[in-house]
Amino acid sequence: MGEVSRLLVDYGPAFGQALFLTWKLTVMSFVAGVLLGMAVTVLRLLPVPPLRFVLTGYVEIFRNIPGVVLLIFIVFALPDLDVVIDYEPSVILTLSLVCSAFTADYLRTGINTIPGGQIEAALSLGMRPMRIISAVVLPQAWRAVVQPMTSLLIALMLSTSLASQVPFPGRELTALVSKVATDSAAGMPAFAVAAALYVATGLLIAWAGATLERKVRILR
Amino acid sequence: MRVASASAAIVLLLLAAGVGFRFHAAGQLDARFWEFFAWPTTWSFLGRGLLGTLTSAAMAAVIALTLGLVLLAGRLTRLRLVRWPSIATIEFLRGTPTLLLIYVCFLVLPPAGIKLSTYWMLTLPVSLSTAAVVAEVYRAGVLAVPRGQAAAARSLGLTEVQVFFLVVFPQAVRYIVPALVAQLVIVVKDTTFGYVVTYGELMENAKVLIANYHALVPVYLVVAVLYCLVNYAISSASRRLGRPMH
Repeated sequence: MGEVSRLLVDYGPAFGQALFLTWKLTVMSFVAGVLLGMAVTVLRLLPVPPLRFVLTGYVEIFRNIPGVVLLIFIVFALPDLDVVIDYEPSVILTLSLVCSAFTADYLRTGINTIPGGQIEAALSLGMRPMRIISAVVLPQAWRAVVQPMTSLLIALMLSTSLASQVPFPGRELTALVSKVATDSAAGMPAFAVAAALYVATGLLIAWAGATLERKVRILR
Repeated sequence: MRVASASAAIVLLLLAAGVGFRFHAAGQLDARFWEFFAWPTTWSFLGRGLLGTLTSAAMAAVIALTLGLVLLAGRLTRLRLVRWPSIATIEFLRGTPTLLLIYVCFLVLPPAGIKLSTYWMLTLPVSLSTAAVVAEVYRAGVLAVPRGQAAAARSLGLTEVQVFFLVVFPQAVRYIVPALVAQLVIVVKDTTFGYVVTYGELMENAKVLIANYHALVPVYLVVAVLYCLVNYAISSASRRLGRPMH
């Protein structure tokens, strides 16, 4: 315990900033990823075969590629193609692409839980296809996928540790631990503090997700 | 609708052409960036990297499946002294990034006198965090087995250990095979961090190739395709295994 308190005296503010950066990266890539994933899902519903083919490829690629391979490609290989993206946007882009592929996948499963009769009923009421998607399909699909989306958010939060692989000016939790362990002998307490912060964040997300799930789930 | 399809196809082809032109304009289509892919040495080197990835992933999977069972048993027992530490271990390993655990094995343990080989610096953290997830997957399977099964087994006079290993667990496994195989995809993805500890897996070998030929784009593209193919094969297998269960 003495080691942890000494560490917090030396690095306390740094841990605060690192935790904040971890949260910021998580929130930004989740919001971007969810919006992108929703767009992919809707476009995949359109009866346009070439678009479907390409978007299925998109989902399979970003679901299966390891995050760090994608990040390193964006940061180190894209400049060779004269595309230069700054480090922080690169991390957020990587995480949102991966998040969008999983969102599209889960949302499609959510859509499959909606009975076909509802679509027929909406059509017979004279609703247009886009209106059916936005007013009938998507709201119910979202309510069906709260649980997998919660797990996705937790996985995304843990994946922000990827940011430690690029020379980022700010440090998130994993990068901070690696710096503390390199600079001083306080590696173990630093790891313990960072792990506690990750676990606490994860439990908080899980609790929020479970509460939301209880509120919005549809019993069929 | 045919008009929409045709115009979508044209837009997508233009997009692909734009990407191709970008490659050409940046000089990335030059022969010197691609010719070494015609040499067998390149492929045998990448192949060795892939083998490194797969040996680490396979070992991690075996350890995780076993340790996951231990953690599950600890979590399901009635003894609080065993149950609470098991829950804490699961939540801790599940809630910490694998990369952070790798850094601990790489940066924190050696000064403390614990020296692991690069293989174990990668495989051990991956196994531990996977084991915790696998324990939770097992638990979901166990909870899905109808309660009457355990009750019936008990009323036949089986001991608790027999009830678990002969009746409940074999049925639980059948529910969760797809989820377990899907977890293998995450294991393969996690072994990508091998380059952090300089273990010779696919990503590390890719870095060596890049240092030799200065061909970042082609090598990373080929590596990304290899990872996608391996993981796509595993995902497809898990979907096929998943089908008869539903």
